Amino acid sequence: MPEEQVEQMMEHMEKLVMTRLHKWVFCHDSCDDEQKDLALQRRIRSLKWVTPQMLRVPFTDRGPEDADPYLPAITAIIEMDAKRAPQDKLCCVSKCSRNIFQAVGSCKSEPACADDFLSALIYVVLCANPPRLHSNMQYVARFGLPHALRTGETGYYFTNLSCAVAFIEKLDAAALGLSPDEFRGFMQGGGATGALGQAQQVRQQLEELRRRQEHVMEQARSLQAQLRSWAESTQTRADEVAYLTFFPSSPLRRVDDGADCRGVAGRQEH
Amino acid sequence: GARLGGGSGCCVSFCYSFKVVLLGEGCVGKTSLVLRYCENKFNDKHITTLQASFLTKKLNITGKRVNLAIWDTAGQERFHALGPIYYRDSNGAILVYDVTDEDSFQKVKNWVKELRKMLGNEICLCIVGNKIDLEKERHVSVEEAEGYAESVGAKHYHTSAKLNKGIEELFLDLCKRMMETAQAEERMKGNGASQFGAARRGVQIVDDEPQAATAAGGCCSSG
Repeated sequence: MPEEQVEQMMEHMEKLVMTRLHKWVFCHDSCDDEQKDLALQRRIRSLKWVTPQMLRVPFTDRGPEDADPYLPAITAIIEMDAKRAPQDKLCCVSKCSRNIFQAVGSCKSEPACADDFLSALIYVVLCANPPRLHSNMQYVARFGLPHALRTGETGYYFTNLSCAVAFIEKLDAAALGLSPDEFRGFMQGGGATGALGQAQQVRQQLEELRRRQEHVMEQARSLQAQLRSWAESTQTRADEVAYLTFFPSSPLRRVDDGADCRGVAGRQEH
Repeated sequence: GARLGGGSGCCVSFCYSFKVVLLGEGCVGKTSLVLRYCENKFNDKHITTLQASFLTKKLNITGKRVNLAIWDTAGQERFHALGPIYYRDSNGAILVYDVTDEDSFQKVKNWVKELRKMLGNEICLCIVGNKIDLEKERHVSVEEAEGYAESVGAKHYHTSAKLNKGIEELFLDLCKRMMETAQAEERMKGNGASQFGAARRGVQIVDDEPQAATAAGGCCSSG
């Protein structure tokens, strides 16, 4: 049988067998996978404050309105938990990796090297905090076809994911280019720093709104003044016209009747 | 590891698959080196490849097909501890330094120690002095580098990704050496050495696939 056909058949078999076995062998009670999942999840959550700059991820900051370029990669890695067959889980890892290359490509002109890729993958894992990540990786390593895991593109991506997790587990101040004190501060006040940042942002937004409100008020006041002066000048013109219409030939009576006339026009207007 | 695929029955065609890890500091030009080899491009505006982290190349050496997978590894200091995860099952390693940068050569020495510790003599090592187009600014002497390579059982090469010098030779030579290693193991296996050991180190015959399935915990038998 040709090699390709054998490989295809093995893949079909794997998918068939593992889709059915998934619910019994995934994160089995006999191992401490569940504990490790929770530990990893907590670890990632405690590192929420890590920025792309600290990880030296190729990143172009295009303002808060623009979406994170790594968002498609984050979505892909989260999807991994929903798949059953190891090869389908690996597909998610590959999809995530290709999306990372796209994102790196949009931030950098040269092709991505391993350092770029790995730092971006670490960032993506930290943002995504993928559900049951440890269990999913163990499941793929235990039940996936060995050749898919060790060689080829998929193998490369999976190896890098293992590296990313190892890095996150051992991450310390030096790895992020921080002093030990700064690192401790971030770890202790991770949540507080986040909330503080948010408060700062809200305050800035409020300030901006106040500024715009003042501007609107100012404009309204000037419009009001303009309207008033326009109404006055129109009134004056109307009086003049009326006076000239009623008494075209008696300039001597102009002042008295002009006052009368203005009174009538004023009443009409109010 | 290397896979030796043979068709059952008629015309047996062999195909080797080798994994080669690429090591070196950030600025030694390892990315340029592989892009030159796999795409024949250097700092080209027309490079369409998004990435130079995982590249493959198909070769034909003395009538045998060889699939080469080149794994770039993250070389920054902060990723140092992750090395062993990358090295697993690799048949060869290319350790690149910049001839104008003494530090990058010291880093190569560290990697050699680590690789030998982990994979013993199974792995073919190539130490590569890149950027020989900057000969005037050379800071690592040829004698020192070649002497060191010999002392650790590695081969030394001089390359320039910019001028496309020495790169074809480097990869061709490495492939030949990996083939020799794989063939030697195959003979060992033929002499009754542990099948599992040999399979793990590199050579595997595709018709033995059920064995791989057993190792993976599957329960089906095919063949």
